[in-house]
Amino acid sequence: MKTVLAIAMAVALAGLLLAPATDYAYKAGGGEACARCHEIAPQVEAWMESSHREVRCEQCHHSGMLTNMRRVRDHWAGEVPAKPRMKHADVLAMTERCRSCHQQEYAQWRNGPHSVTFESLFLDKKHNSERILMDDCFRCHGMHFEGGIEDLVQPVNTEGPWELKRADLKNTPALPCLSCHSVHRTGQPLKGHVRKAGISWREEIARPSLALFDRRSLAPVALGDLPLPVVYEDERPVKMSPDQRQGLCYQCHAPLAGGQIKSGDDRTPMGVHEGLSCLACHDHHRGTTRTSCATCHPRLSNCGLDVETMDTTFANKESKHNIHWVKCADCHPKGVPPKRVSSSSPRLAP
Amino acid sequence: MKRRSFFLVASGALTGAGCGHRRSAPFRTLSESEAATLEAWCDALIPSTDGTPGAKEARTSRYIDIQLTRRFRKFRPQYQQALAAIEKMTGGRFTEISVEERTVLLEKIEKGEGDKALWGPDGGREVFNLILQHTLQGFYGNPRHGGNHDYVSWRMLGIPVVPVRGRGVAYGA
Repeated sequence: MKTVLAIAMAVALAGLLLAPATDYAYKAGGGEACARCHEIAPQVEAWMESSHREVRCEQCHHSGMLTNMRRVRDHWAGEVPAKPRMKHADVLAMTERCRSCHQQEYAQWRNGPHSVTFESLFLDKKHNSERILMDDCFRCHGMHFEGGIEDLVQPVNTEGPWELKRADLKNTPALPCLSCHSVHRTGQPLKGHVRKAGISWREEIARPSLALFDRRSLAPVALGDLPLPVVYEDERPVKMSPDQRQGLCYQCHAPLAGGQIKSGDDRTPMGVHEGLSCLACHDHHRGTTRTSCATCHPRLSNCGLDVETMDTTFANKESKHNIHWVKCADCHPKGVPPKRVSSSSPRLAP
Repeated sequence: MKRRSFFLVASGALTGAGCGHRRSAPFRTLSESEAATLEAWCDALIPSTDGTPGAKEARTSRYIDIQLTRRFRKFRPQYQQALAAIEKMTGGRFTEISVEERTVLLEKIEKGEGDKALWGPDGGREVFNLILQHTLQGFYGNPRHGGNHDYVSWRMLGIPVVPVRGRGVAYGA
């Protein structure tokens, strides 16, 4: 009898210890402990080479006791996906954790068009009555969402009225941080840049974390693998900036298959702005151009006028002169007059 | 030792004991030797040549190993038998012989000329085709399934990792 009691007590004690044990296994030793389960070893190895190597796993990933117990159960039951990855809810939670270190970037993103919510995007009456929603919408909007368009919006037609199947998702950002950033991407930590790479972070063109989350591969694709398209104005190839960061922009703001400028959602600059990078005018996280004109004008202006008040879509959205494609000839159909730059205008040195 | 420290150490040890045996196993289903044999088999099916990647670079054996815990679970016995059989045929040296020698052996099995006692009545033809099919999947498929590591086959073929795909005009654009 005593033996049975002792065994029962031992089993009960083991059961009691299991919960804190699984939790401790994840938390102890940082990344090393996480890599014990070999399914996530590649991710841990990538993190050790990344610019975020000094940030511990649990600072970004939720590591509550129940979550850790679920992970261990999945591990033992063999219910591990081919490539372990973060769920949609984890990605959204991560956005708030990014904020704890990247407050300025977060504030800019929050105030820009790329923080658009599911509600304003997928329940837009004007859009939905003109174009039927489809799974491909998720390629650029809500790429981490698990499911098809019918799992998010009902009905999927042009009649409406439309509503989200899960009301709790209405304020969900369609483009969270991990849409364009991959935290485990190889690179140097920001503060160690000068010391390690011999360059200042101000000289760096792109942070190593820039990567597009590809819904098809369920993985981030690094900036170097994002192609820049060849865009044509009729037969003429439009001069393009070689700025590789535009690869991210072109994944969503892309011309149609023929590569014609202005087709699809293309915004490739042409005319007076031809050859400029998207990022020359658009703020990284906010996406706006509010202060960008002053970066070049009036110093580089051809006519010395206040370009911000010119008849373009920059001053007025209804203008027929789109700021992306405006040409001198649009306002001067009879030919561009000689320069009238005032003597007080600041000029660039020859 | 304080009570809290005791529980932390005890719980850590308990879990460490549970996870420890898996720490050295890089594959999910196959043993280290089975994995090496499968890798050599896949390498003979799609060898890497000058400048072009093969099954080894695409990590197709890892793809198969992952899928053996999932969709290919039912094929586990066939894999284990085939990997053991090919090792027996070469006296446990299948991973050591050259690609050319491996190719000769695999061609025999492809034709169903394997030892019936080792390979069954079809001489190994069925399992050869199974492994060939899975190797091709792992080589050309999407990396999300565990193979085609770093898109090596797509890069070789000039297929963009993510193409630029435009959509119809968004209203107001």
